[in-house]
Amino acid sequence: MARVATPTAFDAIDPARRLRNLALTLVAIGVGVLVLWGLESLGSAKLTQALALFAVWGVATVSLNLINGTLGILSLGHHGFMLIGGYTTGLLILDEAARQRILTSARSTMTEQTLGISVGNMLQSLGLDALATPETLWFRYLLAIFFGGLLAAVAGLVVGIPSLRLRGDYLAIVTFGFGEIIRLSASTRLFSAYTNGALGFPGVTSEFGKSVWWTFGVLAFTVFVISKLKYSSYGRAMQAIREDEIAAQAMGVNVAYHKVLGFVISAFFAGVAGGLWVSWLGGVRLDFFLFQLTFFFLVAISAGGTGSITGVLLGTALVVFVRQYGDPLEETYSIQTWLYLAAGVLGLAAAGAFAFRSLRRLRPRLHWGALVLAGAAALAALVALIDPSAIEGTFRGFGMRAIFLSVLLIVIMVFRPEGMIGRAEFSWAALLREQRSGPTDEERAQDAWLSNPQLNPGGEGPRDDADATRDEGGR
Amino acid sequence: MLEVEHLRKSFGGLTATNDVSFHVNEGEIVSIIGPNGAGKSTIFNLVTGVYRPDGGDVRFQGASIVGKSTNQIVGLGIARTFQNLRLFTQMTVLENVLVGQHHRLRSTWLSSVLRTPGYRRQERAMREAATEKLAFFGPRLQSFRLNQPVYVLSYANRRRTEVARAMATGAKLLLLDEPSAGMNPKETAEITQIIRRMRDEGGYTILLVEHKMNLVGEISDRVIVLDYGEKIAEGSYHDVVHDPLVIEAYLGKKAAVDRAEDEEGSGA
Ligand SMILES: Nc1ncnc2c1ncn2[C@@H]1O[C@H](COP(=O)(O)OP(=O)(O)O)[C@@H](O)[C@H]1O
Ligand SMILES: [Mg+2]
Repeated sequence: MARVATPTAFDAIDPARRLRNLALTLVAIGVGVLVLWGLESLGSAKLTQALALFAVWGVATVSLNLINGTLGILSLGHHGFMLIGGYTTGLLILDEAARQRILTSARSTMTEQTLGISVGNMLQSLGLDALATPETLWFRYLLAIFFGGLLAAVAGLVVGIPSLRLRGDYLAIVTFGFGEIIRLSASTRLFSAYTNGALGFPGVTSEFGKSVWWTFGVLAFTVFVISKLKYSSYGRAMQAIREDEIAAQAMGVNVAYHKVLGFVISAFFAGVAGGLWVSWLGGVRLDFFLFQLTFFFLVAISAGGTGSITGVLLGTALVVFVRQYGDPLEETYSIQTWLYLAAGVLGLAAAGAFAFRSLRRLRPRLHWGALVLAGAAALAALVALIDPSAIEGTFRGFGMRAIFLSVLLIVIMVFRPEGMIGRAEFSWAALLREQRSGPTDEERAQDAWLSNPQLNPGGEGPRDDADATRDEGGR
Repeated sequence: MLEVEHLRKSFGGLTATNDVSFHVNEGEIVSIIGPNGAGKSTIFNLVTGVYRPDGGDVRFQGASIVGKSTNQIVGLGIARTFQNLRLFTQMTVLENVLVGQHHRLRSTWLSSVLRTPGYRRQERAMREAATEKLAFFGPRLQSFRLNQPVYVLSYANRRRTEVARAMATGAKLLLLDEPSAGMNPKETAEITQIIRRMRDEGGYTILLVEHKMNLVGEISDRVIVLDYGEKIAEGSYHDVVHDPLVIEAYLGKKAAVDRAEDEEGSGA
């Protein structure tokens, strides 16, 4: 529908406007800080956790979207990069008490030597004792997630290289394989001195991963870097690769370099997200980094809008909300209640279908599919109403959360394949309606003049090939 | 400027280019014509490094460019358009043209993210250059069109955008593969003049593949004729279209003979 694509998105053109946008952004950040502060001071641990998780996963989804949305490569190995960052961070900031516990545990495979690897010890050996005190843990944590990101970036370099030879589904399988290789090799003897094998280790401080300030700070940094990259000449080159690799190369874009660059930057932030994630969880374990994690991120990206940072954050909020507040879905209810619920959902779906068809002016408005849904809803409600005794018993909605997310994904993919907001992106210009949503009347008139053979005998006339699309004529 | 020598390329058993030699001088407009499947596009793909020749040499400004990658060749100064439009359709007209300039950017990705003064200056210069190239096409690709995604453009405007994108790479030699395909006679006449202006005002050297003979006849300094991968004629448009071999290639042997007899008859 949108005639004018996302703002051509370079903020450097008009200095006055740039200044205004900067001021608006600062104000928005201030408001955001106030809102966060308000939410935090409500004192609900559950809410704070959910907010922090949104920020942690936001770092992961926004970075994954650099590969999936901007470069247009389906990458399924993000959990592997996160694992590298997570284990690195966990090991580097482990406190003394946790070290001792692991060392004395009979089942531990970590050695005194590997447990001695920590940012604190490194700083001490550099003579920077002041930075190794409990008060300066935040500094060591920042260093640790940075190192985690760097190591993950190295892995990104390795995974990025096959992306030069492979395309599409084949490449997706390779990235998936890499993610699994990273996870499985963490449990092998080669690495178990660092990872403690399948056991992992607890005792990673939650001071940062569960703090909205730290997590949102890192998220803001991530969004800043990734969005500035997207709207730079480099980002345009990456999008060109997504659109047509051969043409991008023929226009001088070094496709190999930009693909690997995308992978490396994305993996770096995945590593950082991993460092936040282990802190949120309070420990490190192999099953914190299952493929399921990447699946959740992909749901968030697809639901929100592939390629749009704004959309990806919206999708992440949705997924995190279902994950954190979906508990009621998984509890035990009487079958009668489940029947009422089913009737409600089916009835809503039927009503939704009717509304959708009316809105799109599709006929008949009452599609037989909607009738079937409504019939099923009525049946479920009838059974629950008329004969509650015949359906005694209870049922536990085990796994309902995942089912709910999957169904949600299917619904979005069927009705809005481009995601909730498509490729559109938040910008002050768009918010203030500065971005023109189409030609002005004058331009339209001029355009009609140019393309109307009766008005302009020298202009575009009717063309010989019938299937040529006209300007404004759609896709 | 461009020298192609004994170029050969086959696909399996099919010889698409067979011992083709020609050259293009700076400031010339040279056309390659020939029936469908004659191997015209293949020559473009060989020159721009999309395909690797089986034999022969391609020299640009004196140095061989065989074996260089497509993007390196753009950096050296040869850019092209595609017979079957290859635009970045989800991106805007301006963005498409800006991508053509990316390879000349001298900032690292980090200074681009940080929007250093150096990067800002280059970005501004890129935008100026891009609008300047688009201005070759008059008002058709100006003002609101700049920010329109390519997928709403008409076929003719897409062709124009592709030419502008190739110009924006900073290349000196442009290879245009059927620039007027899908255009009506009016639009064809217009693009003919634009190609001439690209040479006269823009300083480009142009090698083009075309089917529309009025366009070829009007602007070509020289015409090269290909048939079944071989060069069968070269010369001015007038000489080439009267060459019996060329007539035969286009109309078939019998027609060529008939026509030659006709001409003899009318001459007598
Ligand atoms: N990549 C390819 N693989 C196999 N055959 C090809 C390939 N590219 C071109 N050809 C063949 O080479 C011949 C010349 O094609 P082309 O150069 O596209 O002709 P045209 O003169 O119409 O542009 C055709 O027979 C075509 O089928
Ligand atoms: Mg061709």
